[in-house]
Amino acid sequence: MLTFIAKRLLAGLGLVAALSVLTFFLLQLGASDTARHIAGQTATEEAVAQVEARLGLDKPVLEQFATWAGNALHGDLGLSWFNGQPVTEAVFSRISVTVSLAVGSVLLTAVIGIALGALAATRRGGLDRTVQVMAVLGQAIPGFLMALFLVIVFAINLDWFPATGYTKFADSPTAWLQSIALPIIALTIGSIGGVAQQVRGSMIDVLGRDYVRTLRSRGLPARRIVYRHVLRNAAGPALSVLGLQFVILLGGAVIVEQLFSIPGLGPLALTSTSKGDLPIVLGIVIVTAIIVTVVNTLVDVAQAWVNPKVRLS
Amino acid sequence: MSRILTAIALGSAAALALTACSGGSAADPSATGDASTAAGRAPKLTIGAVVDVATWKAADADWGNTATYYMAVYDTLLRTAADGTVEPGLAEEWTYNEEMTELTLELRDDVTFTDGTELTADLAAQNLVRFRDGASPNTSNLSAMTDATAVDEDTLLITLEQPDPALLTYLSQNSGLVAAASTFDAADAQTNPVGSGPYVLDTAASTIGSSYTFTAREDYWDADIQHYDALTINYYADASALLNALRDNQVDIANLNSVTQIPDAEAAGYTINQAPVNWKGLIIADRNGQVNEALADVKVRQAINYAVDREGLLQGLEAGYGEVTTQIFGPSTEAFVPELEGAYPYDPEKAKALLAEAGYPDGVTIVMPQTGFVPPSEPELIAGVLAESGINIEYEQAGESFIGDLLGGKWAMFSFGLNQEPMAWMTYQLAVSPGAAWNVYHQPDETVAALSDRMRLGGDDADAAAKELNEYIVEQAWFAPFYRVLGVIVTNDATTVTMKDGQAVSNLWDIVPA
Repeated sequence: MLTFIAKRLLAGLGLVAALSVLTFFLLQLGASDTARHIAGQTATEEAVAQVEARLGLDKPVLEQFATWAGNALHGDLGLSWFNGQPVTEAVFSRISVTVSLAVGSVLLTAVIGIALGALAATRRGGLDRTVQVMAVLGQAIPGFLMALFLVIVFAINLDWFPATGYTKFADSPTAWLQSIALPIIALTIGSIGGVAQQVRGSMIDVLGRDYVRTLRSRGLPARRIVYRHVLRNAAGPALSVLGLQFVILLGGAVIVEQLFSIPGLGPLALTSTSKGDLPIVLGIVIVTAIIVTVVNTLVDVAQAWVNPKVRLS
Repeated sequence: MSRILTAIALGSAAALALTACSGGSAADPSATGDASTAAGRAPKLTIGAVVDVATWKAADADWGNTATYYMAVYDTLLRTAADGTVEPGLAEEWTYNEEMTELTLELRDDVTFTDGTELTADLAAQNLVRFRDGASPNTSNLSAMTDATAVDEDTLLITLEQPDPALLTYLSQNSGLVAAASTFDAADAQTNPVGSGPYVLDTAASTIGSSYTFTAREDYWDADIQHYDALTINYYADASALLNALRDNQVDIANLNSVTQIPDAEAAGYTINQAPVNWKGLIIADRNGQVNEALADVKVRQAINYAVDREGLLQGLEAGYGEVTTQIFGPSTEAFVPELEGAYPYDPEKAKALLAEAGYPDGVTIVMPQTGFVPPSEPELIAGVLAESGINIEYEQAGESFIGDLLGGKWAMFSFGLNQEPMAWMTYQLAVSPGAAWNVYHQPDETVAALSDRMRLGGDDADAAAKELNEYIVEQAWFAPFYRVLGVIVTNDATTVTMKDGQAVSNLWDIVPA
């Protein structure tokens, strides 16, 4: 198990390195005017040149990358080109907000998706068809549209939740829950369908296997068969989908955070990319890649934990 | 199944732990602006901002939409009232010498910064020099300043290469911000301001790029302008988020991204406060015909002005919110001439006749940039209107270096919006003088030079010269303004604001509890 985890983490490091190189050079393609953005629209050419020199933008691109990579290997991700904030501070002050949304959404997705999938697989008929239609609808509606709908109905008309903003858990647990409820629901609705359909398909497959028929013939209660045997064997694919959903939700949070004005990584990523704030963008990419690697590894470990028949290799 | 449930429970705990550790902001989502007061102040003001503060470093400060941020934590050497009148700030008195090349300011002696240090004339002088040599987009405000020195502990002397009628106004804006010396070389100068202003930034409760929380300083020298115990400025990067915040009454006062949001803000119960802040139109930059020969002929430039359907563009681009104009000088400035507003009525036939007189009976073709900053319908509408008069616009997609290319003279003519400054001289410096950034080809003009010499010295003759300059520029058709764009500030029932001429945001101290 430890060897497996070590291998996955090593592969993750490769992923981080590859993404860093890709991001750096992709942003270089569109970074022709960054120094002017920083110096101001009406700045003189001398002032723009000063900014370029200060940020090292006057050096060859490969040298710039080598400098950044060398510092990054020593844990120094640099400063924002635009406001001078340390990249680690900018990213880590926001990562917990985004990960909270993603984790909350995955948990809600897991609970609702697994329940709906299990119900659809065991009851079939009208309920099955209803779940499938709802799943498709949920996936078809764009996240931002769902977010706007939720805000108008539950924040503005019913006044149950705040329309925008974020409250820290430490400041008020109740207000915190209220501030993240709608964003989590907006993120979740689109992902429930995928998990529900995956669970449904896997369970129908397992329910048709010989050992299930054997268990039934031995007189075991249907509920016990479903929960102790079928669901456990069907859980593997569902966990994989959940892991994938987590990564997708991290991306989806970009738009939802912007719409709800939540200070997560999303708005930071959007503004930094549009301005060309390379150090911040690289910091976000690195941290996100690390999270994705860790989550994928955890999903694999969890699969083995839930179903010991799965062998890690 | 129990293992799955355990995993979900563990995940929940992890999510909670993550959030508990969050260093993120606490952008208070609850409605504010309640009328109860403490220590003579209202408890809290929540401001919705459409522009984020890029840096807190005074020497590099922007102004315009970001002025509110700076007015919270910094003082300026002078202040301007909402009507543009210059008033005391850190300087209690000021006098010019006869030639108007030396400005002497007497500073207050009771001002302290949040780091405990005191204001001195030497510190103010250092701030001025640092601003002039810094990275602010407005460094040219102090381009006429040759030096700033301390005469004594409280007396500051600013020496000018030549008179600058707008200097006092500049000193009430970002050029006059004074920061403590401890920030000059501080590593966190861009994120942690140390000023002498009415409020202090609570960095622990703020998230850069999202929400900024300030608390009133108890020992502030001018308590009369502190109307609130605390301020929060929430930056809304997304127009929908701002609208939703308004609909949920989460902010007391906010700028709008666009006048098209006015009906929604009104429906949410907000009061609309508006004032013209920009003009929008065509900058006919290539008046010497370097890139497009036709534009060197004044008749072609005038034809462009006659070809502009100002009312139609105002309706089409701004839903009718705004004021059509032919002048780049604002109505509150000494240069404004009401009669000039009718100088170029929409007249395609006259435009075609002028083109024919200029030797272009088949019309002219002009290449203009198209950017993603505006919706595609805008350039289409402008081109459609001009085409009716034989002025054919070919759009070229602008790249990442759009502004740099504009200022570098890549395009002979382009659609743009510029500040409608509170003083004629400021507009001259912005768009007319040979050194002005938006006199893109930096073309000199003898008439303009003579008029600017008169404007520079101030007084009644300067006002007359400003009017003459405006008339000359309109007659020579250096620009083809469409309309004045309204800056809109909305306020809830608990808040009132006095709009400020030529500034997108009001003075912070002009936002008061209702």
